[in-house]
Amino acid sequence: MKNIDPNTITVKRALCPFCSYGCEFGVVFNDFGIKGVEYIKDGNSNGRLCPRGSAAAMYLDHPRRLAAPTTGGKSIAWNKMAKELSKAVGNPKKVAITFDRNITDEEYAAIIGWCKSIGIENTASTYFEPENSLRSFLDQSFAEDDLEKAKMIVVLGDLFNQAPMSSRGIIEWKMKDKKNQIVVIDSVRTHTAGFANLFLRTNVGTEPLLLLALAGTNTEGIDVAKATGIDTSIIKGLSGAMQKNEKGIVFVSLPFGRTYDPGLFAEGLRRIRDVSGAKIVPFVEFAGYHGSQGFASILDMAKKKKIKHLINFGELFPFYYPQLAADLKDINVYATATLKHGLYAMLPVPLNLEKQGTVTTTFGKRKLPGGIESPSGSRTIEEILSMLSGDFGKGKTPAAADHKLDVSGRARRVAEMSSSKKKTLKLVGEKLAYSFLGFLEGETLKINPVDAEEFGIRAQDTVTVKSKHGVVDLPAKITEDVSPGVLAVPAETPGVRGLFDYELDSELDAVNFIPTEVKICRKE
Amino acid sequence: MQKRIVLDLDLCCGCRSCEAACKVAFKGEARIRHGDIGGTAYLPLACKHCKQPLCLASCPVEAITKDENTGLVTRSAMVCIGCKSCAFACPFGVIDAPLVRHISQKCSLCADREEGPRCVAACSSGALQWLSDEEIEQHEIGMRMVSKDLFFRRKA
Repeated sequence: MKNIDPNTITVKRALCPFCSYGCEFGVVFNDFGIKGVEYIKDGNSNGRLCPRGSAAAMYLDHPRRLAAPTTGGKSIAWNKMAKELSKAVGNPKKVAITFDRNITDEEYAAIIGWCKSIGIENTASTYFEPENSLRSFLDQSFAEDDLEKAKMIVVLGDLFNQAPMSSRGIIEWKMKDKKNQIVVIDSVRTHTAGFANLFLRTNVGTEPLLLLALAGTNTEGIDVAKATGIDTSIIKGLSGAMQKNEKGIVFVSLPFGRTYDPGLFAEGLRRIRDVSGAKIVPFVEFAGYHGSQGFASILDMAKKKKIKHLINFGELFPFYYPQLAADLKDINVYATATLKHGLYAMLPVPLNLEKQGTVTTTFGKRKLPGGIESPSGSRTIEEILSMLSGDFGKGKTPAAADHKLDVSGRARRVAEMSSSKKKTLKLVGEKLAYSFLGFLEGETLKINPVDAEEFGIRAQDTVTVKSKHGVVDLPAKITEDVSPGVLAVPAETPGVRGLFDYELDSELDAVNFIPTEVKICRKE
Repeated sequence: MQKRIVLDLDLCCGCRSCEAACKVAFKGEARIRHGDIGGTAYLPLACKHCKQPLCLASCPVEAITKDENTGLVTRSAMVCIGCKSCAFACPFGVIDAPLVRHISQKCSLCADREEGPRCVAACSSGALQWLSDEEIEQHEIGMRMVSKDLFFRRKA
């Protein structure tokens, strides 16, 4: 019999799957299980690791980790679940297959192949906007050398929270030469903005208008300065500097519910790239995959009962989008999951941390080393598909659809949304590394002192936030980091994410989560 | 050789990787915290392992001791009675007043880890460094940006 020795440890290498930086680290095991994480000096990030990476150990060993299939909150055997799923896919015309985070390239190819082999035509990504729009820029991978050659850096959003590992290179680049200037564009003043030589605080949700103006797009009839809150001379100066500067880099990290039009945001980035030659470098949660159509079509089919069953392969959908529940109420939703979430039919799968396979990062394709054991009750996606229909090949993955945008029409709409005279409070999402899935710290509501005074809110008071989709109580943080009329919150738990309003984008066939009108009051 | 955790304020991007690393290693008890200095700076604060520790002087049961060779100020969980004297005595406020498991929380510089503190290893921007007194003298910590403009972080 083996003697248990708590001092004997094993370190298994892993690639962090929680953002597109893809840091390497070690997971430390002893005879009692997972002990923590280790910071590997010879890894691609020199041992450095952001809070999400450190939380990996907590995720693997989470008390809510799903270890058996469930329906209606009760565990069932895998063979019963497989029987139910087989019956559901018996009529492939009535089935939609979707996918979001926590799958590998190999699993995605298997899903597409399986769909083809049994005749399922409706596939879509549930890895929603805004990050879905940024996926196309991942085709051109980024290298550290690009940063050394850069003559100008523009950052959109809170990059140092989305991908903290990127901070070192950028700060060192700034300190290297007085000519090295960082421009940060965001509607919230963040730590990243604190490092800017020039910070452009836009009005909420209007970033796409500023990007179009910087690219020199003629947005006739729109007062961009008024809509965005950025002075015309600053826009012209920056636009000129970007267009003259061929070796510019635009780093992008756009949080959930931050902009009115993610599609137009991406179009603005494309135009900047075309006119200035700047490299667009997105840092996202996950690269995501294309389906045969957008999720707006699937949602429409669900509402019209054209489909009966939806099977999601991933991690977040539908659990993190409770506002979509009403649209999905008439269909059966089955979803792979890693943690227990409510009453949906759930199929336990390994985390990407526990898999072998390939994922896309900002630096190109990277291999997941595997080697960490997944919960005994979980099944890989390939195993689940095999349970349903024996052999299937790898499918040819669909190409990204080519959409034509009514740029001026969309720009006008963003300007109108920004210029509403009605006094409202708009809730926007934040991406704080430390709030990762609520593991390390709960969400806090940022509120401007002017609004706090108006609503009688003091620091640390509990504030009830109500949108048309839900109600959540959050502790308040009073700060000028947000403008009056703006509230910011990390959308890391289903409750908070579920507050956000969404729009169906018919041109892009997408579901956009946007800055949302809310009502607040101090909770007694 | 005595080594210390040193913060290069020029580099700190406020991501709280250090705090997360500590919290995960010590099962939910972060011993490095973040201070918001009057809206001017936001920075990690950890035990300085003082040469003449006031926490040690204030402890009624001698639960806190100082290793003269390594400079490490440690607290024995077995001896600590949770009176919070150390938390009130600490001039830097880095010993948390709320008790966890009825004892105070105190940075041990990750004495269980040969390579040094986890917060330093995890620091995403390289702002936290693990340096000896001699190395500290050779470094210009935070002398490039912060010292030239105290409010550079808030210029935005």
